[in-house]
Amino acid sequence: MKKFWLSLFIFLSLTNVALAQVENSLSWLALVHYQKDGDKYQSTIDSETFFLAQDGKTNPKAELQATINLFENTKDTEKKCLFPARYKFLQKNGLVSKPFPKCKDLEQFYDDLRPAGVTLLFTDAYMNNPSSLFGHTLIRIDTARKGTQLLAHGANYGAFTAGQENSVLFAVWGLTGGYFGGFTVKPYYDIINTYNNIENRDIWEFNLNFTPEELDFFVAHLWEVGHTQTRYYFFTQNCSYMLMEVLDAVRPSMQLSQQFPVQTIPLDTIKAVLQCQGLVKDINYRPSRQAKIKHRYKMMNDKQKEQYLEIIHEQEYDLRGLSEAEKADVLETAYQFVQYQYVAKNLELDEYRKQSFKLLMARNKVTEQGSIAELDKGKEPYLTHDSIRAEVGMGFRNGEAFQEISYRPAYHSLTDDNYGFLRGAEINFLNAKFRHYDEQNKTVLQQFDILGIKSISPMDAMFKPFSYEIKWDVAREYNPDTEDEGYVTHLKVGTGASYAVTDEIWTYAQLNSYVAYGGFLPDNAYLGLGGAIGIYADFDKWRVLSEAEQIYATDKFGEKTKINVESAYTLNRNNALALRYSKEWRSGKDMEESLLSWRHYF
Amino acid sequence: MKKVLMASLSAAFLLASANVYAIDSTGCGLGSMAWRGQSGIAPQVLAATTNGLFFNQTFGITFGTSGCDPNGRVTGGTGRMVLAFMENNMEQYALDASAGRGETIDTLAGILNMDSAKLGEISKQNFAYMFDNQNVDAVNVTLKLLEITQA
Repeated sequence: MKKFWLSLFIFLSLTNVALAQVENSLSWLALVHYQKDGDKYQSTIDSETFFLAQDGKTNPKAELQATINLFENTKDTEKKCLFPARYKFLQKNGLVSKPFPKCKDLEQFYDDLRPAGVTLLFTDAYMNNPSSLFGHTLIRIDTARKGTQLLAHGANYGAFTAGQENSVLFAVWGLTGGYFGGFTVKPYYDIINTYNNIENRDIWEFNLNFTPEELDFFVAHLWEVGHTQTRYYFFTQNCSYMLMEVLDAVRPSMQLSQQFPVQTIPLDTIKAVLQCQGLVKDINYRPSRQAKIKHRYKMMNDKQKEQYLEIIHEQEYDLRGLSEAEKADVLETAYQFVQYQYVAKNLELDEYRKQSFKLLMARNKVTEQGSIAELDKGKEPYLTHDSIRAEVGMGFRNGEAFQEISYRPAYHSLTDDNYGFLRGAEINFLNAKFRHYDEQNKTVLQQFDILGIKSISPMDAMFKPFSYEIKWDVAREYNPDTEDEGYVTHLKVGTGASYAVTDEIWTYAQLNSYVAYGGFLPDNAYLGLGGAIGIYADFDKWRVLSEAEQIYATDKFGEKTKINVESAYTLNRNNALALRYSKEWRSGKDMEESLLSWRHYF
Repeated sequence: MKKVLMASLSAAFLLASANVYAIDSTGCGLGSMAWRGQSGIAPQVLAATTNGLFFNQTFGITFGTSGCDPNGRVTGGTGRMVLAFMENNMEQYALDASAGRGETIDTLAGILNMDSAKLGEISKQNFAYMFDNQNVDAVNVTLKLLEITQA
């Protein structure tokens, strides 16, 4: 009876004034994922089951009242069990008097997870894959179980793409919200297998400094959003954005999601989290299998290297002249390489099993442990230059002075500082260059790079990746015959190979095919074939990319020989000076261009 | 006694791991990860920018799948946990067992509530017994591991 009066009292005392403080609090808004949309609110979550009020998606007040009503005046246990974090929120604000019901599934969830902490995970780029430079983020619920964090769980927010990953529709739906996204939970060992061992991506772990109360609230809220789906947009409402909203729900004052109104690049979210005072208490690096193999090979002595290569290429087990510890290192590395080869589909299952088994038997006979220390340091992705680049410069074209301004929303060029990025990987989106020519006294859009991807990956004794390039742009071209200028759309696709002369200097050769289209062209379009050779040097603070290119085309206009030398020097993390020189010969006439510029990243 | 134990353990595991065989005829032994391998530029380029999940339900409904374990969470008693762990990590455990140390041994020692160094030693000594041929599967290795650690 007493309880009834108490709940009645609570219900009646929810005057507009008292409720207003709660319904518009950052905590409530973050908990139901409301974002400001003009002077109204709208929740990011799309599942109708996430809202208790009819207009809950857009009405924080009605949703709050409906939530109080659910816990105070209904017996809908199933529904109540879906909102443990909301209950905790109401409790904290003195808005609920009834106890939280017993929820079997939820208790099982807690019991399986045994939460001990929260760790934000960043998975770095795949080798030889520039489009993965943006990275990916997920979250780990650390476990209190005995053993290691392999028994923790990762929560991954992703799109449910139903096996359409290789179709054209995939990109279209992905960009327009045609897929739904949701959370999945998997053991951390499974996450490690996926990212470290199958995709060969490094994992960075950012241990968050949550209080026990925040941890409890996080898990409760994960349970809530884990039952929902939301339209997934590759560039905006993606894996990383949703994690920001979830972290905001736990600590609303951070307002992390506010920082990503337009594009959410996973690595940028890591940087934002690191900027939150005291949020990250510890950072840990888990290298990919490929990185481990490369490291171990590098650390071997010459005798070990020789034997190792014999084992992986010819399955010859000499091992003579090696100490027990040296043998252990060789065999263990070779075993890892065989695992790599199998996942890369370079080995059949039978052969894979045979080789693995043989190596294990040999390793088991070795009495000592290896002496090569595991790779425990990487180049921190969060120390990379920021994503957006603005460049201002001045230069000359065939003696005529010009000034240039360019703006690139994302992401990284070969001559930008590579610290923390996969070296040899370039990806540029929507880079726009404007120029003002002094003599003609006019300002023009000089070039617009829609998408540019370039990967230079040297082959070595173990790994044989291809290098490749895809470039799609619209450029203002000069016709030396008519002295006219006009816009041409280009598509270039090339593939080749690269060889590292030293750690710093790489050479590459590439075969390219070209398509060009534009009303300005003599026949509106041409097709081309050609080749390029280049040298890419990276001395950390100073990078130089030199390339000579020859194009043969169906139209005389498309035929040209071109050299391009681009060099940049890092001033600090977000500033660099660049110098570019290019010369091209077309129809017997040449065109020379030079540009000195300042690059700023933000 | 040992035989009875083995038989009842086997029966229990077959029940617990009925799905193991349904998923992939290669079993969950060495090389169980074949079907998840990534290759080629196109799928990588897409996968990288999209983070696709290859099944269609949130964890509230089915919990997704993890390797060979249909549950997708670390759950259940010791035996079930060891088996689930082995199904997903046997490639690495095989290496760690052959050497007598490693992260999977530390993890299994936690599940089995025993000293990690001790488990490393036992694993190394009994390596040839647990991995007696190249086609061993996770169920067999798990049974043998439980057997040797109970002795």
